Amino acid sequence: MSAQVAPARVVDQAANGGVLIKLIIFSLSLAIVPISMYFGSLKYVWNGNSTYAAMSAIFAANIVLVSYIIVSILEDRPAVATVDETKKSR
Amino acid sequence: MSYCPPYAPFFGFAGVSSAMVFSTVGAAYGTSKAGIGIAGLGTFKPELIMKSLIPVVMSGIIAVYGLVVSVLIAGGLTPQGYSLFAGFVHLGAGLSCGFTGLAAGYAIGIVGDSCVRAYVHESKVFVTMVLILIFAEVLGLYGLIVALLMNTRATGEGPCL
Repeated sequence: MSAQVAPARVVDQAANGGVLIKLIIFSLSLAIVPISMYFGSLKYVWNGNSTYAAMSAIFAANIVLVSYIIVSILEDRPAVATVDETKKSR
Repeated sequence: MSYCPPYAPFFGFAGVSSAMVFSTVGAAYGTSKAGIGIAGLGTFKPELIMKSLIPVVMSGIIAVYGLVVSVLIAGGLTPQGYSLFAGFVHLGAGLSCGFTGLAAGYAIGIVGDSCVRAYVHESKVFVTMVLILIFAEVLGLYGLIVALLMNTRATGEGPCL
């Protein structure tokens, strides 16, 4: 019983450490990406048209959101695979 | 009566601050209400925390909408040659983004709280939660679109006679 619990605990701790890094990266990107996209595209892409720059910033913010949803869904998949392997090995 | 009275920038700056303030109130409500449910989920199933943080990220997006509209409106404010028409347009744009952000954040908070609590028991609630949250988020996006449309009417030199 303890032989099965110990690897599970190690995997849990590794997963928790990875979660914190991912959350920090997404928080920083959600703070930095839209505003930098607004000012960057205003100056370099749209030649001063602020409406298009705002649309680019909102598009970038939604890209960050969609990538977060995809990362959170993909985080589940390997955990499901290891649970199936431990069930098969019994 | 001049078209460009000296108190016209008051309405412009009121639009800038209302866009940021009200959308942030909505985002704060969404974050806190969903956070209550996430704290409840975290005591039972800590491995689901990354998925259950989606309402919090969506509340952050609502605040980003308010931020972008504030920056957009503030870029069009000038001390001279600023007509009262432009002031009212900027005020309307800020209020439309702010109050729709408040509504969207309110919806995200309540839906996020209930759905993450249900996600502990039934994992198929996840897709439903994301769909409902996307519909709630789009409310804030509509306000942002109206704010952008209104702001385009305020650009250009006002007739300051």
